[in-house]
Amino acid sequence: MNARHGQTSYRDRTQEFIKTIENLKKSSSTPDAPSSNAVSRLEVPKSAASIQSEFSKRASQIGLGIHQTSQKLTNLAKLAKRTSVFDDPTVEIQELTAVIKQDITALNSAVVDLQHLCDSQNKGGNMSRDTTNHSTTVVDNLKNRLMSTTKEFKEVLTMRTENLKVHENRRQLFSSSASKDATNPFLRQRPLVSKGSNDSSALAPPAPWENSSTSSSPLFPRRKTNEDPSSSTQPLIQQQQQQQQIVPIQDSYMQSRAEALQNVESTIHELSNIFTQLATMVSQQGELAIRIDENMDDTLANVEGAQGALLRYLNSISSNRWLMIKIFFVLMVFLMIFLFFVA
Amino acid sequence: MKITALLLLRTAGDYSSSSGPSDPVVLANASDVSHFGYFQRMAAKEFILFVARTVAKRTPPGQRQSVQHEEYKVHSYNRNGLCALAFMDDHYPVRSAFSLLNKVLDEYQKTFGDSWRVQQTDSNQPWPFLTEAFTKFQDPAEADKLLKIQRDLDETKILLHKTIDNVLARGEKLDSLVEKSSDLSAASQMFYKQARKTNQCCTLL
Repeated sequence: MNARHGQTSYRDRTQEFIKTIENLKKSSSTPDAPSSNAVSRLEVPKSAASIQSEFSKRASQIGLGIHQTSQKLTNLAKLAKRTSVFDDPTVEIQELTAVIKQDITALNSAVVDLQHLCDSQNKGGNMSRDTTNHSTTVVDNLKNRLMSTTKEFKEVLTMRTENLKVHENRRQLFSSSASKDATNPFLRQRPLVSKGSNDSSALAPPAPWENSSTSSSPLFPRRKTNEDPSSSTQPLIQQQQQQQQIVPIQDSYMQSRAEALQNVESTIHELSNIFTQLATMVSQQGELAIRIDENMDDTLANVEGAQGALLRYLNSISSNRWLMIKIFFVLMVFLMIFLFFVA
Repeated sequence: MKITALLLLRTAGDYSSSSGPSDPVVLANASDVSHFGYFQRMAAKEFILFVARTVAKRTPPGQRQSVQHEEYKVHSYNRNGLCALAFMDDHYPVRSAFSLLNKVLDEYQKTFGDSWRVQQTDSNQPWPFLTEAFTKFQDPAEADKLLKIQRDLDETKILLHKTIDNVLARGEKLDSLVEKSSDLSAASQMFYKQARKTNQCCTLL
C-alpha cells in the first residue's frame, strides 16, 4: 500500500494537514509548504519539504537560465557564421558575447550555491536516501549542461576568430590586387609619406613574409614594391592617431610600472602571511612531537620494568625445582624417621 | 614572445625642425629574420629598416611610442635625439620592452658617448652588446627586473602553498603518532602490572 519511508498512514493526512495549517495560522509564523507527515514530527519534515521545494525552485531557475543561454549562444553562432567581409556585425557580436559570458558566470555561481544547499541539506535534515540521490543527480545534471554550454561557447568563439582570420586574408588579397594597378609605386612613396591620415587605403597591407610562400618569383618583386607604399601608410595613420595618444601612452607606461610595483608589494605581503602561518603550524607540531617523545619514554620505562619482573618470575619459576628437591628431601627424612620408629 | 629586431637610430634634431627628407640614421642594428624564407630575408630586413626610420622620425624626443604594424608591435623611445626601437610580437609585455630600450640606450651612451650625434650615414658594423642583448632578452623576464621579481615571487608562493600542504599532512601524521604512542604506553603499563602480579602471588607449582 505505501512505502515505509517517512510516510506513516497514507489516509490520515488531510486532517493533519488542515490542523497544521490552522496551527500555523494561529501562531502566525511564516507559511510553510504543506507537510505530509504526522503532527508530532511537524517541524523537521516541514522544513525538509520547504527546503526541497526551494531546491527544486532554484534548480528549475538554473535550468531555465541554461536553456536561455544556449539559445543566445545559437544566435551568436549564427551571427558569427554570417559575417562577410564588409558587413561585419562586430558590435552586436561583442555585446552578445559579453552578455553570454555574464550569464554563464552567474549560472555557474548559482549551481555552486545549489550544490552547497544540497550538501547542507544532506548533512542536516533527516532526508530519505531517495531525496539525497535525487538532489545530487539534479545538481550533476545541471553542472553537465552548464559545462556543455560553456564548451559550445568556446567553440563559437574559436570559429569567430577563424572567420576573422579568413576575412583578413581575403581582404589582403583584395587590397593587394587593388594596389597592383599602381603605375609607379616608388614615385608614390614620397607623397604618401607626407600625406597623412587622408589616405583611403586603410586596409591592412599584406605582410610580405606571410603570403610569400605561395607567391611565385615574377609576382614577388611586384609584391615587394606593393608592400612599401601600403605599409608606409599604416604606421603613418597610426602615428597620426597616436600623436594625440602619446601622452596617454606615457601615462599608461608609468601606470603600468606603478601597478607592477604594487603587485610585487602585495605579493610580498601575502608571502609574509604564509610564512607566519607556516611558523605557527610548525611550532604547534613541535609540541605534538614532544608529547610523542614523552609517551615513548613512559612506554620504555614500563616495558623495562615489566621485563625485570618477568625475569624475576622466570628465575623464581626455574628455581622452584630447587625448593621441590628440598621438600622431597625433607619428606624423605620424615619417611625415614617414620620407618625407624615403626620398624 | 619574440623580438624580431632591435635598432638604434639618430633622429635629426627636434621634431618641429625636421627638415624635409632627413631620415633618421641607423646607428646599430640587430635583427633576426631567420623565420622567414630564404628569399624573403633581404626584403624583410629592408622593411624593418624602413619602418624603423619612419617610426623614429615620427617619435618626438623624450617620448615613448608603440605602433602596431600587422602582427608586430614596434616600440620606440626617443631620448634627446637618440632613438631606440624594438620590433616584437604582441605577447611581449610593453613595459619590459621599454625597460629593455632604456637599457640599450644607457649602454650605448656609456660606450659611445656623444659620437653618434655627428654620424650621417648608416653604420653597418654590428655592435656586440646589441646582438647579445637581442639574444638575452628574448625572454622578457630578463629585461624587466620587475617581471622577474614577480615571477620569482609567484613561484615562491606556489612552493609555499605546497609546503603548507605538506606541513598539514605532517600534522595529521603526528596526530596519529601521538595516539599510537599513548596507546603503546598504556599497553606497556598494563603489561608491567600483569608481570608484577604474576610475580608476587607465588606458591605455585
